[in-house]
Amino acid sequence: MFRINISTKIVSLFIFSALFSINLSAASWDVPADKKSKNSFIKFNDASAKEGEVLYNKNCASCHGNPSKGNVLKSLKPTPPDLASDGTQKLTDGELFYILNTGRGLMPSFKNVLSENERWKVIAYMRSFNKKYVQVLSNTDPSKSELVKVNMQYDAKSNIVTVKVVAKEKTGTVVLKDAEVILFAKRYFGKLQLDKSMRTNNEGLAYFQYSKDLPGDKAGNVELIAKINDEAYGELESTTKFKIAVPTDKPSLTEKRAIWNVLVKAPIWLIITYSFGVLVFLGFLLYLVLNLLSFWKIGKI
Amino acid sequence: MLEQSKKDKVTSDLLASIRLTNSFKAWMAFLSISLIVCLGAYVYQLNEGLVVTGLGDYVSWGMYISTFVFFVATSLIGMLISAVLGLSGQKWAAPLARIAEIIALAFAAVAGLVIITDMGRPDRLLNVFIHGRIQSPIVWDITVVTIYVLISTLFLYIPLIPDLKICSEKINKLHPMAQKAYKLLSLNWNGSHEQEQILKKLTRSIAIFIIPVAFAIHTVTSWLFANTLRVGWDSTIFGPYFITGAFVSGTSAIVIAMYFFRKNYKLEEYLSLDLFDKVGKLLVLVSLVYLYFNINEYLVPAYKMKKYDALHITALFTGAHALMFWSVQFFGLVLPIILLVFNKMRKPLPLLIIASFVFIGGWFKRYIIVVPTMEHPFLPIQNVPLNFKVYTPTLTESLVTLAPFILVLLIITVLSKVIPVISIHETIESLEEKNN
Repeated sequence: MFRINISTKIVSLFIFSALFSINLSAASWDVPADKKSKNSFIKFNDASAKEGEVLYNKNCASCHGNPSKGNVLKSLKPTPPDLASDGTQKLTDGELFYILNTGRGLMPSFKNVLSENERWKVIAYMRSFNKKYVQVLSNTDPSKSELVKVNMQYDAKSNIVTVKVVAKEKTGTVVLKDAEVILFAKRYFGKLQLDKSMRTNNEGLAYFQYSKDLPGDKAGNVELIAKINDEAYGELESTTKFKIAVPTDKPSLTEKRAIWNVLVKAPIWLIITYSFGVLVFLGFLLYLVLNLLSFWKIGKI
Repeated sequence: MLEQSKKDKVTSDLLASIRLTNSFKAWMAFLSISLIVCLGAYVYQLNEGLVVTGLGDYVSWGMYISTFVFFVATSLIGMLISAVLGLSGQKWAAPLARIAEIIALAFAAVAGLVIITDMGRPDRLLNVFIHGRIQSPIVWDITVVTIYVLISTLFLYIPLIPDLKICSEKINKLHPMAQKAYKLLSLNWNGSHEQEQILKKLTRSIAIFIIPVAFAIHTVTSWLFANTLRVGWDSTIFGPYFITGAFVSGTSAIVIAMYFFRKNYKLEEYLSLDLFDKVGKLLVLVSLVYLYFNINEYLVPAYKMKKYDALHITALFTGAHALMFWSVQFFGLVLPIILLVFNKMRKPLPLLIIASFVFIGGWFKRYIIVVPTMEHPFLPIQNVPLNFKVYTPTLTESLVTLAPFILVLLIITVLSKVIPVISIHETIESLEEKNN
C-alpha cells in the first residue's frame, strides 16, 4: 500500500526539480483557496510550540534540519527548505497545513501519521521562529468532535465494512454527510490503511472493502480504526475490535531458547557442552588434589 | 650408578642461579620503575576513561586486545614443549619443559589482566560473572583462560616438587622462612618409589589434559573474532590459524628466554648448542605451517574480492596497513624461515635475533588481525571526525600496553630466581638413564 511506483517517483522528481529550480514559492504547491485560508483552532504559544518541537524533531528534522540553522539534508533533490526561511514563513497557516496533509514528491503526507492537533502544533513550532507572525485563530470549536459517534459493522457475505457517522446534538441526531472517512487496521507500529479513503453518503454511511488475508492476533482479533474528517465537526478517530482476521501465532524471537537470548534461555546443547567442560575440569582438579594428598601422606610416614 | 660427584655438580650448577645478585637487583629495580610509570598511565586512564586512548565507537579493540591475543598465543608454548613434544618422546626438549611452563604461566596469567585494561569501567568486571551469558564466547574465554592458568600452575608445580626439596636442603645460607616454604611446598617428598609413581602419573595426566585446554583457550580466543560476521574475521579456519600462530610466537619467546638464561645463569652445558639448533628447526616447522595458514586466510578472500572483503584486503595489501602487513609477513615469517634453514643461523646469537623479529612480528600480526577489520564496518561511517575512522594509539595507551610485557618479565625473573629453571631431579634421572 505504501509502495511508490518508481516511474511516478521519477516523473514527480523531475517535475519537482524543474519547479524548484525556477521558483521556490508557494505557488508551486497549488493550494486550493479554501484550504489556504484555513486557520488553527490551537493557539500558537510557548506550550504548543514546545510540544510541536518534539514532534518536529521526530518527524521533520531528518530532512529539514533545525529551523534557522540551515542544516537541511542537502543530498535530496530538490533540497528541503529551512522552515524558518522567508520562503516558508510567508506561506499561510492553511498552506502549511495543506502541505503537511498532502506531502509531495519525496515529502510524505503526515495526515495519517500525526493527528490534526499534532499537525497544528508542528506549525506552532515553525511559527515560533518568525517574530513578525501574528496568529489568526479559527473559530472552529474542537470540542464539537466529541459529539460524533461512529458505528462500524462487518458483513461477512459481501466482505464489506460499513462505517456510519452521526453527531448527537442536543437537538437530535445529525447525519454527517460528505465527511471524509479513512479506515485503518492497527499494527504493532502505526496503522495500515484499508481500501481508499471514502466520503459518507447522504445516510452518513461509508463502505470499505475488507481484505480477508489480514493477519490478526492469536484469536483472529483485529482493531479497525475509522478516522473521520468533517468540515463542521473536525477530526476524530474511533476504534472497534472485530474477530475477522486470520489468527496468527508467531512467537517472538526471544521466546524460544536461542544464542541471542538471555542466559536462562540458552540453548540446551550449549548448557550441556559448557557444563560438561567445566565439570570435567573440576573432576580432574579433584583427581590431582586427592593424589597430591596421598603423595603427602606417603612422605609423612 | 651415577657418581655422587656428578650429581652434586648438576645440583650446584642448577641451583647457582638462586641467589640475590647485584645485577638481579638492578634489573628488578629497572623493571619495577618502568612498571610504576606504566601503571601511572593506567591510573590516568582509569580516572579519565578510555577517551585517553585511540579507541572509539568504531575501533573499540586496539592495542590492548591485540596484546591480549598475543599473550594467550605465547602462553601456548607450555603445551607444545611439555605436552606435545614430551608425550611424543622427544627427549631433547626435556630441559626446556620448565622454562616453557614459566613462560606459559606468566603470559596466561597476565593475559587476563590485559583484558581489564581494555575495559572502560573495570569496577564492573564482576558483572561479567554475575550476568554473563554462556552463549557468548567472551564467557567461554574467561572460563578457559582461568582453567589454563590453574592447569599451567599445577603443570609447573607438580614436576617441581622434588626440586623444592633439593632447594630446601642444598641452598646455602637460605633464610629460615624460605627454607620452611620450600619444605612445605615439597609435600614430604622422600624419593620413594611410590611417590615417584604418583608424580609420574600426575605429570603425564596433566600433559594429556593440558592439550585440549590449550587448544580450547586459543580457539575460543579466535572465536571472539570468527563468531562475528565482520570482514577479515568471518573465517572458518580462524581456530587452527590462531593455534599455529601461537606456536610461532611461543617458540620465539622460548628462544629469547633460553638465550638469556644460558648467558646470565651460566647454563651453557645444559642449554646446549644442539638444543638451540633443534629449537631453531622447530621454529622453521611451526613458521611454515603458519605461513601456509596465512596464504589460505588471505588468498581465498583476495581471489574472490567480495564487496566488503575487498575494502579490507585492499587496505592490507596496498592501502593504509600495507607497510605493516607486508613487514610482518616478510620480516616476521618469510625471512626467518629462509634464514633458519642454514645451520649457522641456528647458533644462539643469530637465533636470538631472528626469534626477536618473529616475536615482535607476532605482536604486530595480532594488531593486523584486530585493528583493520574494526576500521571496516558494514554500515558506512558518516559524519564523524577523522580520529574516529582511523585508529591512532595514544602515548598513554602505548605505556599501558607496555605494562603487561614488563609484568611478564617480572614474573619470569622472579620465578627463575626462586626455582631452578631446569629440573634438577629430571636432569639427574636422564643422566642415570644414559649411564645404565
